[in-house]
Formats: sequence, C-alpha cells, structure tokens
Amino acid sequence: MADKTNDPAAIWQNMMGEMEKGFNAFANQAMASPEFSKLVNQVGGVSAGAQKQLGELMEKYLVTMNLPSRAQMVSMAERLQSIEGQLNEIKALLHQAHSGTSDNHPVATKPPRTKRPPSTGGEQK
Amino acid sequence: MNAPASLDMAAIPERIQSEVQRAIQRSIKGVEYIASSGPSLGSTPKDILQVRGTMNLYHYRPIADEIYRVPILIVMATTNRGYILDMVPGQSFIEFLLKRGYDVYMLDWTAPKPEERSLRMEDYVLDFIPDCVRRVQRDSGETDVSVIGYCFGGVLSLLYASIFPDGPMKNLICFTTPVDFREMKLFHNFSDRRYFDVDRLIDSVGNVPPEMILSSFEMLRPASRAASQVQLWENIWNDEYVKSYRMFDRWATDTLPLAGEYFRTITKDLMWDNKLFNDTMSVGGRKADISKITVPILHAVAEHDHIVPYDAAKPLIQKIGSADKEEVMLKGGHVSLVAGANAIKRLWPKLDLWLSERSI
Repeated sequence: MADKTNDPAAIWQNMMGEMEKGFNAFANQAMASPEFSKLVNQVGGVSAGAQKQLGELMEKYLVTMNLPSRAQMVSMAERLQSIEGQLNEIKALLHQAHSGTSDNHPVATKPPRTKRPPSTGGEQK
Repeated sequence: MNAPASLDMAAIPERIQSEVQRAIQRSIKGVEYIASSGPSLGSTPKDILQVRGTMNLYHYRPIADEIYRVPILIVMATTNRGYILDMVPGQSFIEFLLKRGYDVYMLDWTAPKPEERSLRMEDYVLDFIPDCVRRVQRDSGETDVSVIGYCFGGVLSLLYASIFPDGPMKNLICFTTPVDFREMKLFHNFSDRRYFDVDRLIDSVGNVPPEMILSSFEMLRPASRAASQVQLWENIWNDEYVKSYRMFDRWATDTLPLAGEYFRTITKDLMWDNKLFNDTMSVGGRKADISKITVPILHAVAEHDHIVPYDAAKPLIQKIGSADKEEVMLKGGHVSLVAGANAIKRLWPKLDLWLSERSI
C-alpha cells in the first residue's frame, strides 16, 4: 500500500479539497456582507427588468417573422401533456382489462395491511 | 513534514504504471461520458393518481407480500424533482421503503406554467396537500396517513400539520427542515429587504426562473462546482464514481422554477419576518402554529448541511407540541442525508426503525 503522505495523487486531492474549502469559506464571508447583497440585487434587478423588456421585444419580433412565440409553444406543450395523460389513462385501463381477463395475469390485488414491525415479532423480509 | 527517506522507491514504477493506465482510461471513458446519456432515474414502477398543474401524485406499486397499515405520503421540496428519492435500483429510498413493507405515495412537482404564477402558499398548504391526503386515504382505504417532508416539503408539511392538528396525519417525518430562517444566513443576506425588491422581481418575471434558484444554491459553495468537475476528471476511469456523479449532478441542476406569488410569501413571511419561528405565521387566514402539532415526529438533520444549517433546523423539535418527538443528527450534507451511500447506511435504517413501530 502506498504511503498517502508521499502519494502525489493523494497530495493533489488533499490540496484541491483544502483549496475548495478555503475558497468557499472566504467567499461565504464576503457574501455575508450587506454590500454584497446590495450589489447582487442591483445587478439582479437590472437584469430582471432587461429580461422583461427583451421578452416583450422578442414576442413582437416572432409575430413579425410569423414564428410561434414561447407562449404558443407552452400552450402546445400543454396540449401534448394532456394527450399523454389521456394515453396513460387508456394504457392503465387496457392493462386493468387485460389483467382481468388473462389467466397469465391474475387481477392485481393489494397486499394485506397486516405487517408488524420486527420489534413486535413481525418478520423482516 | 515527512522526510524524503520514507519514500517507497519500489512502489514508484507500479504507481506510474497505474497512473498511465488511468490516463488512458480517462481518455476512453471521457469520450463515452460525452456520448452517453447517463443512468435512467426515478424508474421504480408507479401509477399516476393525479396531475393538476404543478402538482403530481404518484403511487408506487407495493412489492412486499404484506404491508404496514398506515400509508406514507412523501411531500417533495418545491425547488427540486422527487427522483432524488428514487435514483437507481439499490440506491432508491422509495425502493427501500417498498421492500420494507410500506405503501408509498409521493407528492412531486413539475415546473409551474406561466399562468400558475398566481399560485399562493395557501394553494400548496390548504389545497394540494389536503387533496393528496384525501386521495391517499381513498386509494389505500386507510384514514391515517404518515407524511414525510424533505427540505421545503417539510415546511409545507409542518404548515399543513399545524393547521389540521386533528388529523388525519398519523406521523410526521421531516428531513432537514428549516424553521428559523434568520439562521439561513446567506439566503437571508441575498434577500435582504433593504436591497431585494421581491415585488419588482415577481412583477417582472412571473415565476422565479430555475437558473436563479440554481445559482443561489451554487453561490453557497461557489468553488464546489469547479472542484467537482476536476474530481470527475480524476475519477472518470471509475464507472461507479461516474454513475453516482451523473445522478446527483443531473438532479442538482434539474431545478424547478417557483410560482411567483408563492415565492413572494416565502420571502416576506419566512425570510423577512421569520413568522414560522415567531409563531405569527398564517396561511389563507388560518393560523399555523407548530406548537399545536401533537403527532409523533422525527426530524433528521445533517451535520454538514450548507443549505439548511443546523441552527435553522434546530428549533423545530423545541417548538413542536408533540410528546413523542425525536431529532436525529447524521453525518452528511443536505442531499447525502437522504440519498446515496451515506443515506443507505444511516438515515434509511433509522427511519425504518422509527416508522415501523408507528405504522400499525
């Protein structure tokens, strides 16, 4: 077994771990200041406003280009989701009907709710 | 410092050979990594009982011959997907529960749609959870239901339990659930009311984008993403490491947006006014006082949780009204508490031991 203290790979991993911890601790200290919060929220506020304006502009552009907008795509995704949901229901019904008629697939019965914990003498499988 | 004399000269050629082999493996596996799609997650067989917008209720198909009387409803955190509790066979909390004889349901979330921006805290606590509890009762034929809440799912479960203290909740299990939001120091600072204009944000974007949620999580440990990628490259020859990395990385980056009004309430009532801790919280005009909760409760917290530090979670057991209450602190972090090798040997058996006696 190689000595960990002389193993270059172990030394490298240890160094990486220590650097990660050190940087995280340093950054956490900096991020705990009110100045950091102020700066982050100024930047975040500007970017949220810009995002909204860009979204509106993009919507107009897509209409002009005769392309579907995000809202239309979302609506289409919802329709697909609803169709998928209905297919799942049909599949479940078919599965039930099939397992009810086939000898190979007896009707699925729920297991009895009689299990006892091992501490009271119940069997732990 | 160790003296150079302790260097094992005989081991050097063997070490060099091993490193060369690993370097070759890294190149081969690195290409495979880029080309492959990763393990399939959340594949324990289940039936979808209800889908209503962002809300999804699943029932996992029992696999034991005999099950405990009381079913379990797991309430997932609204920021992340429920498959963290159902990774791959052998590493799935859901599979573990099923094998141990529990009847398991999960309230999981999908991304709220733009028109769901108006969902409020009361929709989650007074509508989604009670609706799921009713459906679990109907499907299982049992009146009692045990609830397991993970992270913010735990907060929602606490609010629900405090508003409906007379049942039908039989047991409550919270995983790493914050109560004192002042102690989530960095989140508290990011959302400092002097600088964070939550109204402007919600009015601008509607739902809070997942990128914003993800970056606020990553900011808590800014060096960790880069370090984990270096570690991945070092260990890319190791299939088990890569599989585990992919599972957790996919889950961690698969963050959900948050409904705008709901986020507004979280920020104002919990982050700013710390109402849950101060016993002034109400949801839809109904007082949510956790001292009213009397059901047996287990709170599992992680020793190295950087998202919900122990000081934020500690008051839960102190404030709760139950006589049968227990807090267990386990080694690990916010995610490794519930999933992965650490959870398999620590949290899962502890939970089984606690819950089995209370599920009959």
